[in-house]
Amino acid sequence: MKLIPENFSHIADEYVLGLLGDAEVAEVENEIERNAVLATAVAEARERFLPLDTTVDPAAVSPVLWDAIATRLPQQAPTEVPSIASVSPRVPIAENDNPRSGWRATAISAIAASLILAVGLVWSVTRTVEPLVVAVLVNEAGEVQAVVEDFGNDTASIRLLTDFAVPEDKTMQVWTLPSREMGPMSLGLLEDAHSARLSGSALPRPQDAQLYEITLEQAGGSPTGRPTGPILAKGFAKLAR
Amino acid sequence: MSAVATAELEYSQIRECSGREDGLTLVTDQSTDLDAALVACAKGDRNGLRRIFDQEAGRLVAVAQRIVRRRDLAEEVVQEAFIRIWTHAHQYAPERGSARGWIYAIVRNRALNMLRDGSREDLVAADHLETLQDSEQLEQIMAAWHRLDHNSRLKECLGRLDETRRRGILMAYVGGYTHGEIAGRLRLPLGTAKSWIRRGLLTLRECMA
Repeated sequence: MKLIPENFSHIADEYVLGLLGDAEVAEVENEIERNAVLATAVAEARERFLPLDTTVDPAAVSPVLWDAIATRLPQQAPTEVPSIASVSPRVPIAENDNPRSGWRATAISAIAASLILAVGLVWSVTRTVEPLVVAVLVNEAGEVQAVVEDFGNDTASIRLLTDFAVPEDKTMQVWTLPSREMGPMSLGLLEDAHSARLSGSALPRPQDAQLYEITLEQAGGSPTGRPTGPILAKGFAKLAR
Repeated sequence: MSAVATAELEYSQIRECSGREDGLTLVTDQSTDLDAALVACAKGDRNGLRRIFDQEAGRLVAVAQRIVRRRDLAEEVVQEAFIRIWTHAHQYAPERGSARGWIYAIVRNRALNMLRDGSREDLVAADHLETLQDSEQLEQIMAAWHRLDHNSRLKECLGRLDETRRRGILMAYVGGYTHGEIAGRLRLPLGTAKSWIRRGLLTLRECMA
């Protein structure tokens, strides 16, 4: 049966029932990735038949089964949400081996946090200079760590909202990704892990959803001019309005 | 399965339900739990996977066993499926169906792959004590329909199909049978079995819409 929209509901049913051949299964799974209509049809078919599975009498499961699973669990693979280092066109592989899998999962809490904080911050700074964008940076666990306000006049203010333990031979460095072509650009170093106003880096006007990130680099800053150390916090900017 | 046994089953389910007044809430809470557990897995938190295991592993082993028949193979399926749940948790998208459906689909796919890789005959070694025999398995397959909650739309709509079509659909979903195996067991030509199942699925979709 051809994989065309008229046939989607039936193909989704047969896919869920396990009635398709190998080649058809591969075709469906490939198409699901980019075709929301087919993906929805499969999800609906799944939910339709799911009660046949969830009403089964549970088997008695031995704890040995869990142990067998636990010993085989790999480290979480990185997700597709890029860190600044991973989209940099010019750096070799960053020595950035902290697991990044949580970034995507934390996006939702980050968005919520950024909305709340952005509103508060915009209000609090309207009486002084207006930042163009505000980015709330979160750690992998989704906890708010810092807020970046970029004023667009080569000045950005970084407020740390938690204590960072920085070893003596290391320093915190702030980055942003104005565009993929440009790659990650340094906004400057945070001496002594304190909040700071950084200026002097001539960068394009900050955009909505621009990525900001703080990494741990060797004292004096990254030797390559690109982020190389572990990511302490990151977040996407929102336009201040 | 006899009518008496079926009635007993349903009765015991009703009893279970009436024992807890918040039956509906419980279901919702469970699925929210699974959502949260998948998010935890995606962050690398093993407790998330453990929660899924504690809540669903018994049923997942049973579901896999209905397909691959042997208990040891069913456990192998569930083991591999949990590793996949762990490594792919970040791909779960709530807008594409429930966490539960996503988790069960991984186990089902793994079981079907195992079944198709070896032939059913290899898996069903006659001298294997834990192997379900054909007749037992067919009984289990029909039981899956009887066991559905009596208010369930799926139960009602499957009930409206004529028996051969209902059997064909249940053999595929519950037992992992192919078109060819279904045609063989129902003594129908392959083309006829295929078109009966197709029409049965269409009727089912219309009934449940």
